[in-house]
Amino acid sequence: MSLTVEIVTPDRRAFQGAADSVNLPTAMGSIGILPGHLPITAIIAAGEITVTNAGKVSRLAVDQGFVRVVSNKVSVVTEAAIDEAKIDLKAIEQAEDRARKAVEAARTQKEIDPVEVAKIEQILRFAAVQRMVKGRSSSGLSE
Amino acid sequence: MPKGLREIRNRIKSVKSTAQITRAMQLVASSKMKRAQDSAQGSRAYAELLGEILDTAVSKVSEFSHPLLTKRTVKTRGILLVTSDKGLCGPLNGNLIRQAAEIKDAVFVCVGRKGAQAIARSGRKLLADFVVSDRANFSEVRPAAEFLLKAFAEGTVDTVEILYPHFKNTLVQMPRLQQLLPANSLVAQARDLREKLGLPEAKIEADEREMIFEPSAAAILNELPSLFFKQAVHQAILEAKASEHSARMVAMKAATDNAKKLAGALSLEYNKARQAAITQEILEITAAASQN
Repeated sequence: MSLTVEIVTPDRRAFQGAADSVNLPTAMGSIGILPGHLPITAIIAAGEITVTNAGKVSRLAVDQGFVRVVSNKVSVVTEAAIDEAKIDLKAIEQAEDRARKAVEAARTQKEIDPVEVAKIEQILRFAAVQRMVKGRSSSGLSE
Repeated sequence: MPKGLREIRNRIKSVKSTAQITRAMQLVASSKMKRAQDSAQGSRAYAELLGEILDTAVSKVSEFSHPLLTKRTVKTRGILLVTSDKGLCGPLNGNLIRQAAEIKDAVFVCVGRKGAQAIARSGRKLLADFVVSDRANFSEVRPAAEFLLKAFAEGTVDTVEILYPHFKNTLVQMPRLQQLLPANSLVAQARDLREKLGLPEAKIEADEREMIFEPSAAAILNELPSLFFKQAVHQAILEAKASEHSARMVAMKAATDNAKKLAGALSLEYNKARQAAITQEILEITAAASQN
């Protein structure tokens, strides 16, 4: 008996497949899901989802959302998700740079729209999560 | 060659090259329309899952109130006007802008350059103007949705309504004004969404064990209205993109047909003029010959 995992964003189905175990970052801390887990619905915090299937580990960086586990089916709904293999560190750095500059400019200039700042901070947060996911996997390979 | 003939020939050439351009634009628009329709399908799974999570949580909470669902006296209406960035798409933008002009006591947020220009020109209040590319990814739509949520929370606007070209079919697009905030009850919203996407009634897979909510069912419900709102905005913008491309496709098809008809008429005129010139020349020659 194994789990089926799907990660769904408004744009596409970011991940779908079988798994032996899943690790999820929730608002209350990280939780691990194994087959036979009790039905649960939880809020997901921005972070990293780890899906282990037959010894193969895939990592996905996700933004805030929800997860629902019912009868060995793990469904994650999130506003953004990206596969670790597709994370481009350079692009993240550039995005972070741009965002940081914008935040700086926003702080010095009082007239700026707080929504804009919140949006940029979101970009920064997601970029940080992506970097964290990528960094861990590459160091794991070298060990 | 007589002067009139050359002029006609130049006109034929220019009309033909216009037809080529409009034909190319028609093809581009039809492929873009297909893509827009596909991506509108792509967000179905998301809507479906949101609806299911709502269903599981809502049965656990008896009383639920949320600022996004609370009605208040309407002083300023907030209108999200979704138009295209480019023209050459028939009456699509004109219809939307005309309807927008009839709305009173409203401030506007625009997606698409045409709408923003029209609102600015008419001297009405434009709060913000967002740019969404043809792909209309969720990440592009999100800032606009967040902005509206914030404006509603702060009381800058008392309603959020979206005015966009509803995609009826390839030939027909109608402006549609839809109220998003304050929203209906979540259950009604989920039902509408399902109806719109043609999804079956959500079935929660049987599991006799009690569902755990972390941190609580109420906390989860609290998060849902804004997600539903953002999803609805995204869906409307995807639909607007599909409408834009199909309107452009139809307009460009009509332009191509017209250009071809015009080129046909012009070549007939050209041939007539040419024949007349030849006849004239023969007459002159024979007249000259008979005089000698």
